[in-house]
Amino acid sequence: MSDHATHLAPGQVILSRLSGVATSGLTTAILVAVLIVMPVMLGGSWIFTLGLCFANSIGVLAVSLLVRYGGEVSIGHTFFTALGAYSVGVLDTSYGISLWASVPLALLLGVMFGLLFAWPSRNLHGIYLAVTTLALALAVPEMINNFDTLTGGYEGLYVATPFIPGIEMGLQRYYVALFLLVLVCLAVARLRRSRQGMALLLAKTNAAAADAFGTRRVWARLSIMGISGGIGAICGAALAFSGSTVSPGGFTFWQAIFLLVGSVVSFYGLSLTRVLIGGAFVTLVPQLLSASGAWIPVLYGLALLGMILLGHYLPRIREMMSRKSEAA
Amino acid sequence: MDLMTNALRGEGIALSFGGIKVLKGLDVEFRAGEITGLIGPNGAGKTSLFNCLTGAYSPQQGAISYAGEALNGLPPAARANKGIVRSFQHVALCPDLTVRENVMVGIARNGKSGWLDAFLPLPRGIREREEMARSADAALADLGLLDVGERFPGELPPGMQRLVEIARAVVGKPSVLLLDEPAAGLNNSETRDLTKVLRKLASTELAMVVVEHDMDLVMSICDRIYVLNFGEIVASGSPEEVRSNPDVVRIYLGSDEDD
Ligand SMILES: Nc1ncnc2c1ncn2[C@@H]1O[C@H](COP(=O)(O)OP(=O)(O)OP(=O)(O)O)[C@@H](O)[C@H]1O
Ligand SMILES: [Mg+2]
Repeated sequence: MSDHATHLAPGQVILSRLSGVATSGLTTAILVAVLIVMPVMLGGSWIFTLGLCFANSIGVLAVSLLVRYGGEVSIGHTFFTALGAYSVGVLDTSYGISLWASVPLALLLGVMFGLLFAWPSRNLHGIYLAVTTLALALAVPEMINNFDTLTGGYEGLYVATPFIPGIEMGLQRYYVALFLLVLVCLAVARLRRSRQGMALLLAKTNAAAADAFGTRRVWARLSIMGISGGIGAICGAALAFSGSTVSPGGFTFWQAIFLLVGSVVSFYGLSLTRVLIGGAFVTLVPQLLSASGAWIPVLYGLALLGMILLGHYLPRIREMMSRKSEAA
Repeated sequence: MDLMTNALRGEGIALSFGGIKVLKGLDVEFRAGEITGLIGPNGAGKTSLFNCLTGAYSPQQGAISYAGEALNGLPPAARANKGIVRSFQHVALCPDLTVRENVMVGIARNGKSGWLDAFLPLPRGIREREEMARSADAALADLGLLDVGERFPGELPPGMQRLVEIARAVVGKPSVLLLDEPAAGLNNSETRDLTKVLRKLASTELAMVVVEHDMDLVMSICDRIYVLNFGEIVASGSPEEVRSNPDVVRIYLGSDEDD
């Protein structure tokens, strides 16, 4: 899968650039404006679902960032989302401390554990690294249950402390997630232009060249895992606040797979539009399909297949069409 | 300044891969203020020598030093920090970065902006990026590439990609510049431009080394030439001396079809 990301077909490269230009700036601004006024038009349950969708989008972004800047695939990001979610949950329920402190703590823990994971796995690549991240994901529910005095075990925690007192909680759960999502997207857009971001991109596509210009591979790996872990933890923090409950069920191995799937269906995009598509997939598709009972996995698989085929053929179709219009 | 000490030296460099001897105890010296040519047939070990000098390969034997300071054991990044940079025989640009950004990567390691600047629009990071962009544009302009700065490498013909790579190597004002077949894939007029650029780059501080199969280019710009064959130096000296060396003539007549 990392192969797919690093060696995009020319058509896909052009497509991703075009969509990159189009979604930067104006489109994003319009989208944000629409999302800001959305609660006026929608009912409570939709607002709740959208809040979760924003939170999941942050997680999708964390996974996509690892692919785009690190060339690696993670199937264990629930480790980081759990870290963030329990930072929020524990500080809230045990100490009554709100997001002002728990989001920075989540970020810090996410970065720290990203680095801690990256160091011993620094020489692993591709499927070997992916399997190692899988071990992280599998360990999460066990760890949560082990620390049940803090985490509340299976029961979980209920996050009730408002972020800004006086504003209705349902709206807060929506806007906080949206705010965090937009903030993270802006930060990631800046990373693309920074010297660190450029060095990471070169290290991903050509490690020897990066080496020759002063970027060590180990630095690149540690950096991208730290960043991705930190963003993953922010996703967890947003999930905890927007979803109002934190329990092991939200951080299963399947959830980690869903994040990767969300990343794949958004074609590892890092723009707001793209990560929202991925976040919506993670949040909405299981909900929409839950009505279909035993058919859920099959339908989910078909939906996934459909998205991937579309992504595979759309650039070619567009290319063909543009060639036709050129010829005409 | 003592120019003799500002040289990149390799003494007795021996490199082998699983019993195959690629370099057989070479002595080379690349002096500041000179353009040194490194020629030899395919598979002679030219690129491997570059890899040893830049730290990509660790030779089993031999000492590598710059300006009297031993480099053995230093990773490539540390050697880059000492001003030893290279271009690659197979174009090694990043397709996700614009041409200008690819060149900026050549000086990114000197940047002072930290992680906060990477994520937030802070004045220091913005200023630094503008300065880097200006340096990159200056390097691009020297190579006649200024108007493709916003393009992506994949959109350029191979010859131009090679020039971008040279721009990335020279933008940081290196003290040692190792160019691996800079003219490969360039057409005649591009090669002429490259020749001019390389002459212009030559300075008393810079030790330039050019691996090249284009003999006209090598003979016209180099002060000294090493001839490598099967991992050994078979001849060295001024272009005239090398040209009239019977061993060299034999090697090159024997591998004429390579050019
Ligand atoms: N990493 C490696 N592993 C095994 N063998 C290698 C490696 N790198 C180089 N070689 C071998 O070393 C020999 C010299 O290769 P090198 O690339 O240095 O030659 P060159 O002089 O640069 O040739 P060319 O003109 O074709 O670029 C070749 O036989 C090559 O197969
Ligand atoms: Mg070579």
